[in-house]
This record gives sequence, structure tokens and C-alpha cells, in this order.
Amino acid sequence: MKPRRRVVPDRTRAAEPYPTPRRRAALGAGPRSRVQVTRPPDGSTNSTAPPRPPAVPADAVDLTIDLAPDRPGGLRLRNPILVASGTFGYGIEYGDVVDVQGLGAICCKGTTLKARVGNLPPRVTETPAGMLNSIGLQNPGVDAVIEKYAALWATWQVPVIVNVAGESIEDYVGVVRRLDGVPGVAGIELNISCPNVGKGGLQFAVDREAAGAVTAAVRRATDLPLMVKLSPNVADVRAIAQAIEAAGADAISAINTLSGMAIDRDRRRPLLGNTYGGLSGPAIKPVALRVVYEVAQVVRIPVVAIGGVAALEDVLDFLFAGASAVQVGTAIFADPGLPLRLVDELAAWCGAQGLASHREVIGAALPVGARKGARGQDRPSVKGVEYRP
Amino acid sequence: MRLAGAELVESRLILPGQWLQTYAAPWLTAGGVRAGQFVHVRTPDYSGLVLRRPFSINTVDRAAGRMTIHFRITGKGTEWLARARPGEVIDMLGPLGRPFEVDPRTRHVLLVAGGLGMAGVRALADEALEAGRQVTLLFGARGAAEVYPSSLLPPEVEYVVSTDDGSLGHVGRVTDLLPGYEAWADQAFACGPWPMLSAAAGLATGRDARLGVARLGRRGGPRNAAARGTAAARRRAWLQVSLEQNMGCAVGACLGCVVFGVDGPQRVCREGPVFAADEIVWEGSPA
Repeated sequence: MKPRRRVVPDRTRAAEPYPTPRRRAALGAGPRSRVQVTRPPDGSTNSTAPPRPPAVPADAVDLTIDLAPDRPGGLRLRNPILVASGTFGYGIEYGDVVDVQGLGAICCKGTTLKARVGNLPPRVTETPAGMLNSIGLQNPGVDAVIEKYAALWATWQVPVIVNVAGESIEDYVGVVRRLDGVPGVAGIELNISCPNVGKGGLQFAVDREAAGAVTAAVRRATDLPLMVKLSPNVADVRAIAQAIEAAGADAISAINTLSGMAIDRDRRRPLLGNTYGGLSGPAIKPVALRVVYEVAQVVRIPVVAIGGVAALEDVLDFLFAGASAVQVGTAIFADPGLPLRLVDELAAWCGAQGLASHREVIGAALPVGARKGARGQDRPSVKGVEYRP
Repeated sequence: MRLAGAELVESRLILPGQWLQTYAAPWLTAGGVRAGQFVHVRTPDYSGLVLRRPFSINTVDRAAGRMTIHFRITGKGTEWLARARPGEVIDMLGPLGRPFEVDPRTRHVLLVAGGLGMAGVRALADEALEAGRQVTLLFGARGAAEVYPSSLLPPEVEYVVSTDDGSLGHVGRVTDLLPGYEAWADQAFACGPWPMLSAAAGLATGRDARLGVARLGRRGGPRNAAARGTAAARRRAWLQVSLEQNMGCAVGACLGCVVFGVDGPQRVCREGPVFAADEIVWEGSPA
């Protein structure tokens, strides 16, 4: 038999490049079927699904979120989509292609007391579904940052959260004291994944006492909303999160990059100038989800999720896992317009789900009893979620 | 800087593993795109690639609204790009970076390219010829198989080839040819691997002394000397280099593409990719 000629459609130009194939009617669905299928009279197929509330117009969805509810004045964001520190510079670099005013907030590049030149190049490399970076906290120092950018930030409606790094508690306090009261600085994010020179180079973030001490010292130095960024490179992140909360942080962001490295096969030596780098991107999203899920159950302050957010699905996953907001990081490099698109998509999703606010689903995936309820509620139970390495 | 789609018009394999792709991007060519600038091309995210890829703008056809990029397949991103078919729209961010600065008085332009460094200086050949300058292009490759075809160059360009193995043209490094042209050239522009650029920069520093170029005027330079790194200072530099570095954002936000300069860290994407040779600390390798 002569084979039938296959017609290959030009999929690059077709309006619908991959149309749904026509299928035969399923057994039991056709009129000739002998099997009588009984359906509920309302036409729904799954009677256990809760009735869906009527849709809400996307522009009526309330996406605001307060990341410092206990603080007078708070840190009220118009939406829960932030840009992560180090990926958005000081907010001006992407100005040509992104309307920064539509973001929830901007976390600026890590800022230290004195200027830092950073690590030797190469500083970045791509890895499967992620990237490694070892910038080495290059920045002009807090005074130069205030001088160059604060006046501009003060004219913006988008809050700018200054990311602060240091090598000793005095460093952190020094930076924060200078930032305190500067118009344009809406809050502080503490990067505690830095070596503590006073403690033999051990990171603040891996030690409960050090993390608590630096948070408490900074808390005493400023009334600005204070968010502390957790490192995933620890054994039990919950104890550290609790120490940070007890020391007076207003919010916790999680996670910083995972420690990693890459090899230059041609030269047979470490690829990055600094040998080690921090892994970010979709590759670390499951780790970030786990950390957010764990931390959200043991603290009552808002958790801001960071790690591999590249689509609305990632935002939803983090919200369900207990995050009040998310930061978009590495994905900005490929798609600078992504954060603003996520804001619209989240509003549309909430609207379609009949939610008046995304806040209704925060922690939806947490074990019953561990969900954050009204303030003053008993401390959430951690039973059944013990950490198993 | 704009973010938009560019339609692939033509994709040609010009050398083993090296592709020349023509894109229709009127939004890019209509602006003031200049030789030395680059575009940041988005790779498909479903394949686990999370970074864009920077490519020098190879040639610009303003009348047709087209531009070309020239690249070698070095990994998954370039492999994917080489497989793109005409008609596909590729997401590009550009034009980015600072261009080559040619002194208005320059008559003789020397271009030095090593391997894929051709992509970095190719556009300047067109620009210089358009401005009525004479152009000599020194090109170095490992062997004859990797020599950029002269048919892709404007006929007015004097094209001098050297190969490491001597299979075509002069034997040896392209920088070995440089001393023969240093007196002729009013300005030189180089792009290629770091050792080549480093050697060229070494030659450039001794040039004034060898040629007996007198330094007149105030000791320490004129009072109104342009600060290092400014366009005016680069215009006075005899050698400008176009550098390459792993890149993250390409807009100056992430500080991932930094090389070390005399005045501290320099972002290749923002202060570069073109630098005056005396702005860079050449000791040691960045890669």
C-alpha cells in the first residue's frame, strides 16, 4: 500500500502551532454506551471539591502586605513581589526596561561600612538550572551609597530595603546607624551569611548565638523595619530563625545562596576566581521551599521567600509554604520584566480563585495547627515536622 | 537599551562550529548602535539555562534594519542558538556597553582580532571605512581552517592573516605582526583572548618611546586632561581593547562581569566592553 503523504504544518507561522488532536469519544461517554454513568445533577464531576467562590476582578484583589506588622509605621508593600539583593543593583540599572515603581520593594546590593572591591574574576558562571556567583560584596560603602542613591530613592514610591553586610557586629551596627533616619531607606535586610572575623571566620548565619547577637545589636541601633536573611548552609535553620525572631527582627527572608563550586575543565582548576560561589536559580527552589516551610512553622513574623522564583507557580508554592512575599533574583537576568508580570499574574490568579487577597492562601500547605493565624494565638506546634537530614 | 524580539533572517555556518546570524531588529539599528556594543540574548528557560548570552554586534545594516552576530558553539546556549531557524523571534536586550572611540583625526585604523575576537572589531571596520579611514585588519587563528573568510569583509580592508601553525599567512601570533604596523596606525583596536590583548597592551605602552613621540606641554599632562575611562580619554588612547567576561545581568546591576582596572573594578558590561588598554591591570589572568 502506498504510504499516505504526511503533511507537515508550518508550526512557526500557524496561529495554533500544536492544536489539540481530535480523539474518539471516551468509552462510556458516547450515546451508544451501555454503561450508564451517573453524574451529580449540578454537573460537577468531583463532589468533594469545595464550591469555588465567585471570581474577583484582578484589579480589586488586595496584594498589599506588611512585612513589619509589629513596628510602628510598618513596612507596607503594594504587592508581595520584591527583587532580591544583588540582582537589581541599586534600582536604577534596569530603569530603561523595567518600571521599578510597580515592584513590591527593591532589595539593593549588599552594602558594607567601607568600600569593597570584591573577588577576583570570573565571578559568575551558569550551572544546570542555576548560576554560581562570587561577587565578594563589591560595593562603594554605605556613605557613598547614601550619597549617590538615597535622594533618588526618597522620590520613589517603591520602598528600597538596603541589604547590609559586615564582618563584625560593630560593622553591621555602623552601617545601620548611618542608614537610620535617611530618607529613601525603607528598611534593612541583614545579610548574615558573612564570615564573623571575631569568631574565626564562622558565618553569623550558621551559629544561633551569633545570628541572635547581630540581630539584637542592629535592632538596638535602628527603628527601621529589619529583615534578616537566612543561609541554607546550616544543619537546623529553625533554631536560627527562632533566635532571630527573639532578637527582634521584623521579618525573615530565606534563603541566601547555597555554597557551591564549578571546575574549568580546560584549565583543570576551579572556575571562579574565588573558587567557591553561591548557587541560585531554579536549582535551589526545593531547598528554599523546605526552609520556608520549616521556618514559617516556628516563627510568627513574616517570611519572605527567595530561591528560584521564575514563574507564578513558584510564587504560589512559596505562599502556600508560608511565605508572605517572595523575592525574584536570578530570573531577572534572563527576563527583567518578570517581577512586574508576576504581580499581574498573581492578581489575576487570586481573582480567578475568588480571593480578595493573596494573604488568604499564605501558609495553606502548612500542617493544620501550624498556620499563622491572628496575632496573640498560641505558638504553632512543630510536632511532626522534625528535621530529618 | 531596549528589550525586544529580533527575527532571525539568516543563519550561516561560516567556519567549523562558527555561525553568522542575521537578525531583523529595526528597533536596535534605528537607535545609535555603534561598533563595540553588544546584545544580551535570551536562551530558552525550559532547558535549564538561566542566563542570557552576550554577543558583540558584528555588522549593522541600518537601511535594512538588520544586524548580525558571530559566535562559536561553546555550550548549550550557543548550541541552541545555532539551531534556531529563520523566522524565529529571539529575545534580545541591547544595545549595551560602550563603543570604540575613534579620534576624529585618525586616518589609519588598525584592527587586531584573535579568533572569535573578529566579532568584536568587525563592526568597526565598516564604521571606519564609512568615515573615510583606511583600515588594516590583523587576524590570528590557530590554523587555516579557522581563518575568517575574506569574502565576509569589505574589499577596502587590508587583511593580514597569521596562524599559529603557519598553515596560512604569517607563522606565529597575531601580536607578532603588530610592531610592523605601530607606526602606520593612528589608533589600534583589538579583541581576542586575554593573552593576546595583554601582549598587545604591552606593545602599546612602549610605542611612544620607540617612535619618539614627543610629549609636549605641562609635565603630568594638560590641565584639562580627560579623566581615565571617559570617552574623551579613550579617544586619545592608541590601543583600545574589547574584553570578554562571564556575564549576568549585562546592565551593571550584578557586578558579575568585573575585570580589575587601574582605578579598581570595572564592569565589562557597563564601563566596557571596550576599554583603553591603559585602564586595565594586565598582570595575571582574569580567567
